Amino acid sequence: MENERQEILNGLIEVLRTVRTVDPARLENVTEETDFLADMNTPSTELINIAAKVEQKFGIEFEDDDIDRLGSKVKDIIDLIILARKRAAEE
Amino acid sequence: MTPEDLRTVNPAEVLLYGPKKLLLDQYVWHSPGVGIIGAYEAKEKDTEDHYDVFRGVDMIEAFAQATIVSMGAYLERAKGKYTDEELREMFLPLFIGVGNVSFHHYIKKGETFISMGHITFYKFRQMSCDGRIYKVPPGLDLVDYFSNYTDEKLKNYELAPDFKLVANLEGITGRAMKKETLKNFI
Repeated sequence: MENERQEILNGLIEVLRTVRTVDPARLENVTEETDFLADMNTPSTELINIAAKVEQKFGIEFEDDDIDRLGSKVKDIIDLIILARKRAAEE
Repeated sequence: MTPEDLRTVNPAEVLLYGPKKLLLDQYVWHSPGVGIIGAYEAKEKDTEDHYDVFRGVDMIEAFAQATIVSMGAYLERAKGKYTDEELREMFLPLFIGVGNVSFHHYIKKGETFISMGHITFYKFRQMSCDGRIYKVPPGLDLVDYFSNYTDEKLKNYELAPDFKLVANLEGITGRAMKKETLKNFI
């Protein structure tokens, strides 16, 4: 479980490195508690783009309602990736 | 049943806004998933206390209503197979962001303008549009004028020279949010 979360975090950081509005310097100390809006100054419009890139990176699909409920912390998106993987495995 | 496009639809049936806040009279062209053109005539209510001139901030709102809100509602309706009524019950349109906007001219009371927008991003009920606002030559039948318009012409803003450029807008972004979800945030 811990390994899975760390693997996802590493992949997520790779995704964030491709996002123009994310300052690479702020990616050095990202943890699950890092808040995209408060700590990384990510524009709220960018969160949807990040979610779309995460889908591609991890080969998963989020539902529209997932994104409505998504919080702004790194752990929230990790939780969502795990949920999407679980849903895909159950299908 | 979702109409083929919004051209024959009354904007008041698609959008949530009441008459004081609705800044869209008619859809004059629509290519689902690509772009749209909506028209509005500046009314007394829009220009009073503002020297008979339509406000710049209202141009952004009018553009958003004609483009991201209308096309978002149309696509969500088609995807979810909702009726307009159900859509209005379930969702609220949220203004998420405005990119670069520059104004080149102005609109006075009684003048008609068109908002021409094309989709640059649409996913998870969030839509971004780029586009322009043009003042319409007086007396022009817009539905007839745009009857053979194409996606390509929209993207190149192909118009007769007597349309006057009023504003250029980029990154106008909004999102349809379920009212049920919003209750958790408000």
